[in-house]
Amino acid sequence: MPRKAKRKKKPAAKPRNNRRYAGYLLLGALAALAIYLGYLNYLINARFEGDTWALPSRVYARALDIFPGLVLTSDQLEYELGLSSYLRVDAEPLPGQYRRLGGSLELHARAFDFSGELQPARLLQVFFDKDRVTALTDSSSGVDLSLFRLPPVIIGSYYPGNGEDRLLLSEDEVPARLVETLIAVEDRKFNQHYGIDPRAIARALLANLEAGKTVQGGSTLTQQLAKNMFLTPERSLLRKVNEAFMALLLELRFSKKTILTAYVNEVFLLQQNRIAVHGFARASRMLFRRSVEHLEAQHIALLVGMVKGPTRYNPFKAPETARQRRNLVLKIMFDQGLLQPQEFETASAAPLGIVDRLPGVNPFPAYLDLVKRQLQSSYSAEELSRRGLRVFTTFDPLVQRNLELGLERGLQRFAQPDLQAAVVVADYLNGDVQALVSDRETDYPGFNRALMAQRPIGSLIKPLLLYSLLEGELTLASKVKDEPIRIRQSDGKIWEPRNYDRELHGEMSLYQAFINSYNLPFVRLGVDGGLEALAQNLDKIKLLKHDVIYPSILLGTTAMSAYEVAQLYQVIANNGYFTPLTTIRSVSDQQHQTLERVPLESHKLFDQARMIQVQRAMIGVAESGTANYLAQRFPGRNLAGKTGTTSDARDSWFAGFSRRLLTVVWLGRDDNKPINLTGSSGALRLWSDIMEIQGFDSFKLSHDGSLEWRSINPGNGGLVQKSCTGGVLLPFPQGRLPDTRSACP
Amino acid sequence: MSLNRLIILVTLVLVLGACTTEPRFNRYQVPTGQTQPGQSAVEELQGKARQALEQQAYQQAIDYLQRAIKIEPRNPHSWHYLAETYWRSGDKRRCIEMVERSFSYSSSADDLEQANQRLMEQCRQI
Repeated sequence: MPRKAKRKKKPAAKPRNNRRYAGYLLLGALAALAIYLGYLNYLINARFEGDTWALPSRVYARALDIFPGLVLTSDQLEYELGLSSYLRVDAEPLPGQYRRLGGSLELHARAFDFSGELQPARLLQVFFDKDRVTALTDSSSGVDLSLFRLPPVIIGSYYPGNGEDRLLLSEDEVPARLVETLIAVEDRKFNQHYGIDPRAIARALLANLEAGKTVQGGSTLTQQLAKNMFLTPERSLLRKVNEAFMALLLELRFSKKTILTAYVNEVFLLQQNRIAVHGFARASRMLFRRSVEHLEAQHIALLVGMVKGPTRYNPFKAPETARQRRNLVLKIMFDQGLLQPQEFETASAAPLGIVDRLPGVNPFPAYLDLVKRQLQSSYSAEELSRRGLRVFTTFDPLVQRNLELGLERGLQRFAQPDLQAAVVVADYLNGDVQALVSDRETDYPGFNRALMAQRPIGSLIKPLLLYSLLEGELTLASKVKDEPIRIRQSDGKIWEPRNYDRELHGEMSLYQAFINSYNLPFVRLGVDGGLEALAQNLDKIKLLKHDVIYPSILLGTTAMSAYEVAQLYQVIANNGYFTPLTTIRSVSDQQHQTLERVPLESHKLFDQARMIQVQRAMIGVAESGTANYLAQRFPGRNLAGKTGTTSDARDSWFAGFSRRLLTVVWLGRDDNKPINLTGSSGALRLWSDIMEIQGFDSFKLSHDGSLEWRSINPGNGGLVQKSCTGGVLLPFPQGRLPDTRSACP
Repeated sequence: MSLNRLIILVTLVLVLGACTTEPRFNRYQVPTGQTQPGQSAVEELQGKARQALEQQAYQQAIDYLQRAIKIEPRNPHSWHYLAETYWRSGDKRRCIEMVERSFSYSSSADDLEQANQRLMEQCRQI
């Protein structure tokens, strides 16, 4: 019996075990599902509670202060507005639009947060007379304004590694009509379902089975968001299951409004070279130059239509397909009661209304590179490309434009396709680097010659050498000798410098030797004591590059970049006040909190009166010295500068300044072969082309009570009568006037 | 004749005298101190900076003054106010440097010259 009973029990145990195993299995599966859902929930949390999107950092130009008296033409203002994607219209402008009214320009400036000072949108009228602003009025009130700060142009961005570009909208900034259209076109049950819509899935499945291929999608907006944010675009069952789970979780965790806002910011709409434009705000700005709040029905329809296939309905590549798709969306909007009949008719007949072409991604690569280098000391590459920083720079798009036009014109003179150029333009009074090019092709983002190409500067060293000599007993009228000189160097070799023209010019004033850039007098004076002083003065500006000081630095064998030369000349032009050249004025975060400011600096490194003497000699260079081309080209205008040429004419330099601007030009070849251009026949010509287009005020020497002015004969340094037409009026320190008199030359 | 008129007359005579005797190819001119374009814009910014300074909003004052300096960098008053802002905020180095710049653009007959001298003393005492 017991055996029998045992036999009978065994079969009964099997189902119980199976049930138990099945129970374990179910429990395990549920646990696994719970863990998996927990994991998905963690992914969602990580995205929504951290920085949901990696935002590119934006680099801004200087904000243009407009005031009566400002040198600015209406064309220049229109160019600036164009860079800021302002749209020219005929009716009264909305924010981000402008119109021409006779000779004036009416613009509706966008609101802008100047990091702590929110400037509201404002309708203005700017009046011009030739090249100046004559008046500025608030169009709404008719009140005259003395000043208005135009929100700055975005000149470039540092994009995340994924190449995504977007502007974020908050929940309240998403226009209701955009939301309604999205729901009408993509997911009409959005407000009813919990993330997935089984009926839509079944309908799509049926349609796809019938067609034998995918012709319809059943995804809700929430599923699309889950796919876009967390999943890959692959078409697999697992991905669909994940998508559904995540959609459910999203709906459980967040409100419909939050989900829709995330969708509006996330969705991919446009490809621009290597940059993927995501979100309606950025796409709207790029396609229509409008903020989303100013989109009209046809614009919304085009954008919403593009969601289905950003490539297929790209309005640049397939304008007709895009137009058909837009009109289909307009029809849906009309059917759903989102449009009145008249509006539907008008919108359907409207052109696409997109810009002619998308703006360049980074049209000023050399400047952007300089900004990035200056930022790298404070911010990592990761921060720059993800944190959505706002970097406010000193870049002046109007000066940059003139520089590029001048460069293009100037390079045509030389007919040397391998000739390269680097140019730096700065305001020497406050250190603002306003414009920069580092390649003859200004939009080519390659080697940054303006910063990186270290080339001998030749006679560009002479103004600082002259300053160093004036620190001793010499004055501009001191007699110097242009005679051969032999110098035994520390390695025992003999150095025999020569003048560029290989001739000797005898005795003359120091002024005369300087303006003609004769080498021999300066080498002689340098080895007699000026060399040490020059090295110390270079060191003050942090441009002394060698521990051992060779006499050859007297002739500019020291290599510098154009940017470093600009710093050297900034001090000279600014009466000896060192103001570090900078591109960055401030950096703020996404919330407009200022993270960093670069204050205006001004260190007095050199004696003003002595520097004025150097400046006077540099005016002489432009009047009657190696750069007398300037006196011919710009008669009646004062400029100061210095030419530089290196051995075998491999480098051609000119550095010069007007009342505000310092411009340094370098010409040369990457392979360092001779270019057969001197500073005078090469860089100076290009410099003049740039300055002519830029326009400039004459350079004026500062008044300094410690200086006395006398006319001298530049040939021998002797005093001459004021009425002597061949005399040169020069400044002298008090009590150190020339002690000889001379006949009028 | 008031002192102001006398100064103007003497300046005029000196400037005209210099013009007639200056050698032909020396075209540079001594600054004449004309009213600069944008003076009202600069004055507006200086006024805002003064208000910000009174409210001890030093950074805001600096921002306004840097804008004023960008418009007209040779205006000694902007540099003076900037120096004063640094003095009030206790930045000795910048205070001295900005007064030096103000000195370099002001004339010795100017009231500002004396104000600068006083301010320089105050800067040094920080």
